[in-house]
Amino acid sequence: MKKDSIAYTVGFTFVVCAAFVFFLALANELTKDRVAANQRLAERRAILAALGAEPGPGESADEAYLRLVAEIRPEAGTPGRASPLYRLGAGETAAYAASVSGPGLWGGISAVLAVDAQVSRIVGLELVSQNETPGLGGRIGEAWFTAQFRGEALSGGRIRVRQGSGSGDPDPGNGELDAVTGATLTSAAVERIVNAGLASFEALRDGGKLR
Amino acid sequence: MSPAKKRGAAASILVDNLWWNNPVFVQVLGICSTLAVTNNLSNTLIMTTGVSLATAFSSATLSAMNKAIPAKVRMIVQVLVISFYVIIIDIVLRAYLPEVSRSLGPYVGLIITNCIIMGRAEAFARSNPPALSFWDGLTSGLGYMAVLVAIAVVRELFGFGSFAGVPLLGPRWTSWTIMIMAPSAFFLLAMAMWGLKTLQERMKGGKR
Repeated sequence: MKKDSIAYTVGFTFVVCAAFVFFLALANELTKDRVAANQRLAERRAILAALGAEPGPGESADEAYLRLVAEIRPEAGTPGRASPLYRLGAGETAAYAASVSGPGLWGGISAVLAVDAQVSRIVGLELVSQNETPGLGGRIGEAWFTAQFRGEALSGGRIRVRQGSGSGDPDPGNGELDAVTGATLTSAAVERIVNAGLASFEALRDGGKLR
Repeated sequence: MSPAKKRGAAASILVDNLWWNNPVFVQVLGICSTLAVTNNLSNTLIMTTGVSLATAFSSATLSAMNKAIPAKVRMIVQVLVISFYVIIIDIVLRAYLPEVSRSLGPYVGLIITNCIIMGRAEAFARSNPPALSFWDGLTSGLGYMAVLVAIAVVRELFGFGSFAGVPLLGPRWTSWTIMIMAPSAFFLLAMAMWGLKTLQERMKGGKR
């Protein structure tokens, strides 16, 4: 068959595509479980960190998660909630975590937000993924930024990210947090995402789900 | 004609790709990623390693397949092979280096669009045997790596005050925000090109 004939060209393209796609599918299949396990581990680490729980000595994040955290799956047909809640401890002193996400400046930002049972304080915020500008908006993933949220009391049920010293708001009682210098839009996006998360926690609390 | 041409094929390819015909400062290819990933050294190293491997393997594969590829779909097949290797790299990173995969985010997928890979496939792998094409792809990647790493060191040092994530300049250092943003890579790349091309011209002049 001539190399430039239509039949050869079509046949060749088909065979080559099929062969390469087969190997990709194979590679994907072989690593699928590992990738899923990595993702689950990263998620569990974030949930533990947001809830302020640390794995004990010699304990893996997976083990700590299974020991400490209770997953509360939403009841079928609950409007507006598809993702599970995570609870640490019980009763009045329990802390609840849930994933929150929303648009950032460049791409989606997703995080785990944890609050107390009364939704009066943030227990912690842990970034899971973000694609903000490295060195600017990307700094929302840095420890000083997320540490500000730890134990922050809400003011009017919300938080406010404002222009501050750029090195972290030291007062956990005012419901205000320092924005990242040079990343106004990303900081505003975090504020929006956290406040939306707080609103849905409040709805759950009012619905008697946080106890 | 560069002075490197007198040596053995493999050595002359190495010298050519690293210096006389460097993909970044002579051929001016792969500039998009130069802007995007060079504000921190570890990402730069991983990204450029990915580009080197993708270029090497796709060049070797395309060279081996070359006789069978119909002219009409040559570029389609090139893109197919390149994206195949890039996706493999992405899968490997996700499975075995999840932290790295997360910090590189969408950049790994963007290796596909790196002009160096297709440039080497077109310019070299089409007319050379697989082993030599592999070597050519790898060394092209190394030439790219050398320039990007140099730029990344400068950008990270001034932009974050650190070297490969290790704080170097202390807490009193005021970071230069411009160094973190893409425009600084333009300035630094242009300065690097200027300096290195001048040096090349001098070296060529000295040989005459």
